[in-house]
Amino acid sequence: MSAKLAVGVAGVWLLLAAGPAWAHHAFSAEFDINKPLKIQGTLTKWEMINPHSWFHVDVKGPDGNVVPWLIEGGSPNQLIRLGVTKYTLRIGTEFVIEGYLAKDGENRAVGRNFVLADGRRLFLGGSSPGADPGK
Amino acid sequence: MTRRFLASAGVVGIVVAMVWLPRVPVAAQVVPLAPVKPLIPAKTAKPWTAPRTPDGQPDLQGFWTNNTYTPLERAKNVTKEFFTEQEALKNAKRAAEAEGEQTEPGTVADVHYDFTQFGLDRSQGGMALNLRTSLIVDPPDGRIPPMTAEGQRRAAARAEARKRMGAPTDAVQNLPLSVRCIIMDRAGPPMLAGAYNNNYQIVQAPGYVMILVEMIHDVRIIPLDSRPRLPQNVRQWTGNYLGRWEGETLVVESTNFTDKTAFQGASANMHLTERFTRVAEDVIRYQFTVDDPATWAKPWSAEVPWKKTIGPLFEHACAEGNYALANTLRGARAEEKRAAEAATKVSK
Repeated sequence: MSAKLAVGVAGVWLLLAAGPAWAHHAFSAEFDINKPLKIQGTLTKWEMINPHSWFHVDVKGPDGNVVPWLIEGGSPNQLIRLGVTKYTLRIGTEFVIEGYLAKDGENRAVGRNFVLADGRRLFLGGSSPGADPGK
Repeated sequence: MTRRFLASAGVVGIVVAMVWLPRVPVAAQVVPLAPVKPLIPAKTAKPWTAPRTPDGQPDLQGFWTNNTYTPLERAKNVTKEFFTEQEALKNAKRAAEAEGEQTEPGTVADVHYDFTQFGLDRSQGGMALNLRTSLIVDPPDGRIPPMTAEGQRRAAARAEARKRMGAPTDAVQNLPLSVRCIIMDRAGPPMLAGAYNNNYQIVQAPGYVMILVEMIHDVRIIPLDSRPRLPQNVRQWTGNYLGRWEGETLVVESTNFTDKTAFQGASANMHLTERFTRVAEDVIRYQFTVDDPATWAKPWSAEVPWKKTIGPLFEHACAEGNYALANTLRGARAEEKRAAEAATKVSK
């Protein structure tokens, strides 16, 4: 929440600022606030698991080598309730991930945003961005 | 919402109207997808009598959510018990927008995945709009009463014990119970909405009511008889619970809690009374009273509308997929190593 908005919101809603803190864990304990990243990759596997889903992504480096990354995302339960299934997201889907690198420096990050090639955000609006019309 | 509506709703103490809060585009450069359709259609509340299960219990069965934007305690700058419908809608819309708002890059608040992308902001989950300004209904100021001296001493001792244990990332045991997938902070009892997946299933059988919590699939199978309570030395995460019917209301009384949970600072001897009353086809009025003289001079009570939602509940196998726990500890060790190396360089 931006500082401007926080000031504008009435006191009764201030509790909401703690929203992400209610989540399963303190993200800044696992990921490095000082290491924001933006990577482009191809989905190789999506683990729809709790408490956080994990996206396995192949990222091509400047030297042409492909490096596997693991990206943490949200609990899949609400997505399933909104009609998203494991078939919704096609293996091979390309997206850009903005997030923060893991503190241990491994190729792991929290996916702050997943942005598809056409600019849409992954799952935003409960749509099926990678849906195969044949399924 | 008017007094007349209150009366016509036949709901004493709570007012519930289904609201669907449209998603707010997160960033201007992103083309928003089609809005999510309401999972729960809007309905007009009207007088309603609960159907009966085959064995004659008022029927509470089904899937429910206690999602809410209403805070447990009333904000200090709010002096009334109820918002008008207009105020409540405006506040809820603002709260939904705040949840979808981008955080400032480089701040702690920004280090997480976007909840809106995963449907985890509360407005996408659907909720009953509660006109109350706080979930707490008693005392009338809507706030938890001041702690007794004994309660304060216990809280200080707990804080001191935590300090002695070291940093949260020093050992698995130092991390919060929810991070360790043992019990979610707000799943209770008493049951309050957490950040997401605030879904419950109630199943009734002769002599029993079962309440399943989606988060960590915690379950209470509540006997409806007067069997003896567990001995004092047996303590359970969700207490020792017994239920009974008082007319249309399921009353569940719980004791034998553990001081590892300490709801709002309560002692392990907290006596919790929960009341479930189906006040409409799609609404359960959930009330609870916390009685713990070791912590508060007087009992206090809260009330939350539960709205019918769609099922089934989905698996939440928390511990099995909890990579975050190991990652957090590994991250802390890596940071310590870096700090030690930096210190060695300086000393050279």
